[in-house]
Amino acid sequence: MQDISLHLLDIIENSVRAKAKNIKIRIICDVQDNILRLIVEDDGIGMDSQTLDKAQSPFYTSKEEREKKVGLGIPLIKQNAEAANGSFKMTSEPGFGTVLTVDFQLDHIDRMPLGNLKDTLLGAVIGHPEVDFTIKLTSNKGGVEKSFYFDTAAIKEELGYIPLTYPDVIEYIDQSLLEGIQNTNMEDV
Amino acid sequence: MKTLADLKKIREKAQEEMKLRGGNTRIKIVVGMGTSGIAMGAREVMKTFLEEIANRNLTDVLVTQTGEKGLSSLEPVVDIIEEGKPKITYGNMTPEKVKKVVVEHIVNGRIVSDYVVATGN
Repeated sequence: MQDISLHLLDIIENSVRAKAKNIKIRIICDVQDNILRLIVEDDGIGMDSQTLDKAQSPFYTSKEEREKKVGLGIPLIKQNAEAANGSFKMTSEPGFGTVLTVDFQLDHIDRMPLGNLKDTLLGAVIGHPEVDFTIKLTSNKGGVEKSFYFDTAAIKEELGYIPLTYPDVIEYIDQSLLEGIQNTNMEDV
Repeated sequence: MKTLADLKKIREKAQEEMKLRGGNTRIKIVVGMGTSGIAMGAREVMKTFLEEIANRNLTDVLVTQTGEKGLSSLEPVVDIIEEGKPKITYGNMTPEKVKKVVVEHIVNGRIVSDYVVATGN
């Protein structure tokens, strides 16, 4: 994985596989505190403490249907966060969901770029119409805070039975995300 | 700024269209989005499908994402599901290949056999 938004996509897919109906994504970029923080919260099936431990070690996977049981997603992001003087925390409760918090030192030389956040979010939101996403981006630079909030439940309500893959809807979501990412200066983080 | 009022206009337009041609989904596209798929470029594959659907105004196509299915060496993998026909799985996909599959398979109904890695269920 070359960038943080690819890790985010991987985390989202984990949440979907855990039968999440709501996924909350927060990204905070704070220049003062020198931190880039990613929080993903889901209401999926969750994990007990044993599974939670295993999920953070390489080669564990919950994907039982697979022939090759290799699970590298979580250990990789943990390793990448720690390489950038950051931290990785995952808490979970069976039946309630999972919360993942990943911190990176913003100006660390080994921090991966945030990458193409727009395409990650666009694909996830449209590719999982059964899941409601709330996305909040916050940037804080020179004491000025800028935020972008995106809520797919409101969009789906407005659309009724019109699918998210309807061409004009794809463009609408694409544009909304682009504006939000630009307004919060998250294109080149 | 995009607002919910813009969505309302889109909904009205889409409803008109669906009245004319019926609201059925003709083809479903499923992009494999497991860890290895993502690492091999599945996000760009997904994005290209969405772009092509928007640019070509394909209103009867659905695209979704799913976890991986044990075809790691062939990622990114895409299933094309059409009612009454066997499922077609394309492998080692790239944005360029996606564009070809959209023109040939999705629009014109001709399977791009060079990219097929599995058929049926």
